[in-house]
Amino acid sequence: MSVKTLPDAPGVSGPSKSRVSIGRLRDIPHAGLIVVLALVVVFTAVQSDTFATDRNIINVLGQISVNAVLAAGLTLLMTAGGMDFSMGSNVAVTAAVAAKLLAGGHATAYAVVVALLLGTAIGLVNGLVVTFTNVAPFVVTLASATLLDGVALLVHDGNTISIGTRMFALGNDKVLGVPYLLVVAVLVLVATALVMRFTVFGRDAFAIGGNEHVARLSGINVTARKLTLYGLTGTLSGLAGLMLLSRLGSSSPGGTAGLSLQLAVVAAVVIGGTSLAGGYGTVIGTALGLVLLGVVANALNLLDFSSNYQPVSVGAVLLVAAIANEMHKARSASRH
Amino acid sequence: MTPLTDPGTQGGTAVTPTSDAQPAAVLRVRGVTKSFGGAAALKGVDLDLYPGEIHALMGMNGAGKSTLVQILSGVHQADGGTIEVDGHAQHGLTVRRARRLGVASVPQRRELAMGLTVAENVLLGDLPTRAGTVHWKAVRDAAREALHGLGIDIDVERTAGSLSVAEQTMVEVAREVRRGGRILILDEPTACLSAEAANQIRALVRKLRDEGVAVVYISHYIDEVMAVADRLTVLRDGAVVRTAPATEMDHAELVRAMVGRDVVSTRPERPAPKDEVGLSIRGLTHGRAIRDFTVEVRKGEIVAVLGPAGDAQSRLFDLLSGRRRPDTGELHVEGRPVPFGRVPASLGSGLRCVTGDRRALGLVPELSLDENLMLADDRFARRRLHRRTELARRAAPLRRSYGVKALAGNPPVSALSGGNQQKVLLGKWLETSPAACFLEDPTNGVDIAAMADIHTLVDDLASRGVAVLLASSSAEEVMRLADRVVVVSAGRTVAEHDITAITRDELVATALGGEPQ
Repeated sequence: MSVKTLPDAPGVSGPSKSRVSIGRLRDIPHAGLIVVLALVVVFTAVQSDTFATDRNIINVLGQISVNAVLAAGLTLLMTAGGMDFSMGSNVAVTAAVAAKLLAGGHATAYAVVVALLLGTAIGLVNGLVVTFTNVAPFVVTLASATLLDGVALLVHDGNTISIGTRMFALGNDKVLGVPYLLVVAVLVLVATALVMRFTVFGRDAFAIGGNEHVARLSGINVTARKLTLYGLTGTLSGLAGLMLLSRLGSSSPGGTAGLSLQLAVVAAVVIGGTSLAGGYGTVIGTALGLVLLGVVANALNLLDFSSNYQPVSVGAVLLVAAIANEMHKARSASRH
Repeated sequence: MTPLTDPGTQGGTAVTPTSDAQPAAVLRVRGVTKSFGGAAALKGVDLDLYPGEIHALMGMNGAGKSTLVQILSGVHQADGGTIEVDGHAQHGLTVRRARRLGVASVPQRRELAMGLTVAENVLLGDLPTRAGTVHWKAVRDAAREALHGLGIDIDVERTAGSLSVAEQTMVEVAREVRRGGRILILDEPTACLSAEAANQIRALVRKLRDEGVAVVYISHYIDEVMAVADRLTVLRDGAVVRTAPATEMDHAELVRAMVGRDVVSTRPERPAPKDEVGLSIRGLTHGRAIRDFTVEVRKGEIVAVLGPAGDAQSRLFDLLSGRRRPDTGELHVEGRPVPFGRVPASLGSGLRCVTGDRRALGLVPELSLDENLMLADDRFARRRLHRRTELARRAAPLRRSYGVKALAGNPPVSALSGGNQQKVLLGKWLETSPAACFLEDPTNGVDIAAMADIHTLVDDLASRGVAVLLASSSAEEVMRLADRVVVVSAGRTVAEHDITAITRDELVATALGGEPQ
């Protein structure tokens, strides 16, 4: 009968003795990722004196804050079997619109609200198309990403929009030595982790990603859940747009946001072990993935590599992590 | 050991160092052990396979059948013991080496490339080429020959996806035989098949035997095994309980060997159904699959819909659960009309539909046992927060009353045996205070002890005054559970009987014949 039918399942052999072995260490979640991260950190710290300073570490974490906010939303969405390639482009549009409003003399609160609502609306449109047309989310959001990148260019109309010192505090000030941006990012990550672990909404995401038919038949309002999730990734994109704008002080056409930002975010989530097919995901993994990518970028910088090595490193890290995840999965599957 | 073939029918490939009159075993397994994570799955198993015999491997879910098969086909390596093929000891058997030695297995889930033609599937990995390109005519001819040699009549140009399950099994068998498979392991080849299709498969298996193939036949259907097998090996808890010629064992003995005790699954006395109608379906029509289907189920009554696998009864789940909308028809639960085509409306009416396909429509494999068990109930209760300890507390009584056994606390539901998964599925739905229930093949792919447990659960359900509609393709199950039976064939209702007014054989004849006799 069932291949999984064993008189006993793995891990049944009683509480494990505290004897440490390599085999047991490998059962720690994200063990491979942690090892790779540790190796990169140790290597860079040995090679460069500046790496292990407080200042540099805060700097690295500050740089990944925007990505972290996007990655948190994407982790939840991908766990529910969804995908959104348009978050980075959503960031580009909301940042441009917010910059334009601020440059036009509108109140900061007004610009913030508009940016968040706009981001949410874009996410909801993605969600509506995905839930009501059955087109694959990959295709829908890739289309909207390209479209939004264009819209951002149209909003800029070829000019960089400076916001002067408006929202300067959010982007550059610190509380107890920690940048505001990092505080926001950590809050978003923690909130997402709590939602996934302790709320029925979060568990619904796992159920939908695991088997959408079963979720629907079990009384979960799958359509509403998916719309909420896409709306939420939109809101977080709006928030990330504001964070990016406040850090840079201006929004420029073809800037850091857009599809390239999104690919780095997807890479972080996938490196963290979240399943592209849905049904599995962890915020801890995503956070580790973000830090790994941030540290690698920082290391290249400190070790005086050309910035052209940046995409090479992201690609290489993604590939290695994906292979490691797959091997880990195969290993745990063979033990069942 | 009883020789079951005359040596003349042996496959030509076997190198047989015969020292006595018996045909030598093509496969000899001695004292094979295997454990997973400290848990023994096989505890010293012996098995002999002779060319030209059908050897049934019997046992409950978790008895070690799958592990043994996986070791023979090289998926897992044995911890101890020896495996000899043609008298040569094989160490470190891998999937490729097993295949080269002629050990082939046809798993329960068919493994064909669904987009390719039958011909391509039969010759997969061995397509004849001419000047570097595929020689299509040779492909078709070779495939036709392979199928014809086994008496299989399937057009080789059809795509695999368009084949019925039985035809897919046959194509897979033909592929393995063509590759030189002479020890063929069939894992439940007749599960979920109509009687006619199952007969075709059994005919094919007999043909393979006559060709000199050693067939390992795994099945839960005891009657089928008694009919088709030459010898039986019964496994229980990872050890061989008995190996004997099929003629030396009877039904009861076999069950006792498998379960370790007598299993009684007889009709109990249930309270008489109430007068109120709990579930009523009128004039249900969906294309040609189901036409003008009407049934009324009183509270506390079990009404079975029996038909060949894949007939009208298999459409009821989609239509009643709200996944699909029928062309016409009316549904009433406790006298209140329920609109079709909406899952929330169906759930809201108190109707609980339990699928027969737990993999696709029943359980979320990644989620834990407890979470699956409480998946529906927690949503009905509109809970907002999720805490594992509290979930375990709420799930514990269900686990107990449904007899769900997990050895590792709260594992992912996919790690459970089929019988336990089925109990989780039933527990998930039947404890959500149903007004009426629709059960589709509730004992699909579970062993005989779990089957008896599940039958008791269904009896209890009816005794609590729930109207139960049961869709089944098993006449035994209908005789065991139902008060009344509606027989469907080719989409139409062909007969309706009180269960006391019909015998099992009449029931089977009606279902297969399509006409009341």
